[in-house]
Amino acid sequence: MIQLRGVWFRYPGSHWVLRGVDLELGKPGVTVIVGPNGSGKTTLMKLASLIYRPQRGSVLVDGRDAWALGGGERLKLRRRIVYVHEKPVMLKGSVWDNIAYGLRIRGVDEGELERRVERAASSLGIDGLLGERADKLSAGQAQLVAIARALAVEPEVLMLDEPFAHLDRAKRRILLGLLSDLRAKGARVVIATHDTFLASRIASRTVIIEDGRVVEANSIEEAL
Amino acid sequence: MPGYEVVEVALRSLYVSGTATLLATAWSIPLAYLMASRPRLRVLASPLEALVGVPTVLVGLLLYMLLSKRGPLGVLGLLYTPYAIIVGEAILITPLVTSVAYRVLREAVEKYGELALSLGASESQAMATALSQGAPGLVAAVIMGFSRAIGELGVALMVGGNIKGYTRTLTTAIALEVAKGEFEEAVAMGLVLVAIVVAVSIAVRAVRGESR
Repeated sequence: MIQLRGVWFRYPGSHWVLRGVDLELGKPGVTVIVGPNGSGKTTLMKLASLIYRPQRGSVLVDGRDAWALGGGERLKLRRRIVYVHEKPVMLKGSVWDNIAYGLRIRGVDEGELERRVERAASSLGIDGLLGERADKLSAGQAQLVAIARALAVEPEVLMLDEPFAHLDRAKRRILLGLLSDLRAKGARVVIATHDTFLASRIASRTVIIEDGRVVEANSIEEAL
Repeated sequence: MPGYEVVEVALRSLYVSGTATLLATAWSIPLAYLMASRPRLRVLASPLEALVGVPTVLVGLLLYMLLSKRGPLGVLGLLYTPYAIIVGEAILITPLVTSVAYRVLREAVEKYGELALSLGASESQAMATALSQGAPGLVAAVIMGFSRAIGELGVALMVGGNIKGYTRTLTTAIALEVAKGEFEEAVAMGLVLVAIVVAVSIAVRAVRGESR
């Protein structure tokens, strides 16, 4: 669904973070991007989510070059992919407001919005937090809220950047369970992690990234 | 100076500095947003920060040369009017408001603007989200600008002329009373000015407290 073709990217005043990446992402199942810190995993995911624009190369969604399209058309493509940051960013307001954000900007009606917020929260066991202030959450709770916020908009491709980073064992189990369910349903999930052990438990396909270049493998065993 | 006159001067100071602050805000916040969202414009940050400390008399002098009868803008007839002080103070506080707003918005755009995009917001929705999340910091930037405007003397004196009942503000009135040797009057008006500045400072703290 998402194709990166000869993608090069660098931040202002920095060296090339990605160097000619060719990759397909968003196939059904869980794709895990593995690589050491600083290898370019986060940048790769932000490019695939159409948040960043590559300096060279192109990003295609269903065969359409996203950055050659007008803003409105690109927005339609971007709304099909949701990226969850490694460090969860909470908007001011309650947990409910945060989970509802993506639905509000899509103009979802209140009844449907309410159902989706509650469904997303209960899938991660955070229903009890809906009335809490988002800035008072622990890092682990905030991570689950950020994932629920992404699930609520029911994206075609869910991108999770180091989703286990702030989670304790109980919350890891909840997230692993959710990912197993999503995998069984044929959902398209992409996860970036440096934790190869976790990757081995959930991956249908693995992509290795090193120093801004991609080495693709079909299975985690092959990758390891 | 009779009490009613002190009140009148204080109200004029609030009007002039308040209007100057609104005017400066109208161009400073959009400029700060552009700088925060377009990396190429970030080169403006350093010169603007350097201009924060520009002497008020220098701004007053430049504006006087522009607005005087022989100056390029002399035909407007603004010299020695409250409007000249408003324009001068707006120019004076622009670097301060823009610099502080830029710092607030740069963080807000990087953090909340990108979050909004990642959840499917359009560019305008992402901008609205960044602005609303940075609002407490922006209010603080505006209040700082107001504090600087109401406490300045150089611009008000040079382009306002300290005309009784027309362009006299708290700072020019204090300078006049000191020149006359009327220290008690000067101290009384100084206390009014301090009360306004302290009230503004408390407002800044309240706004910052809210944002934490």
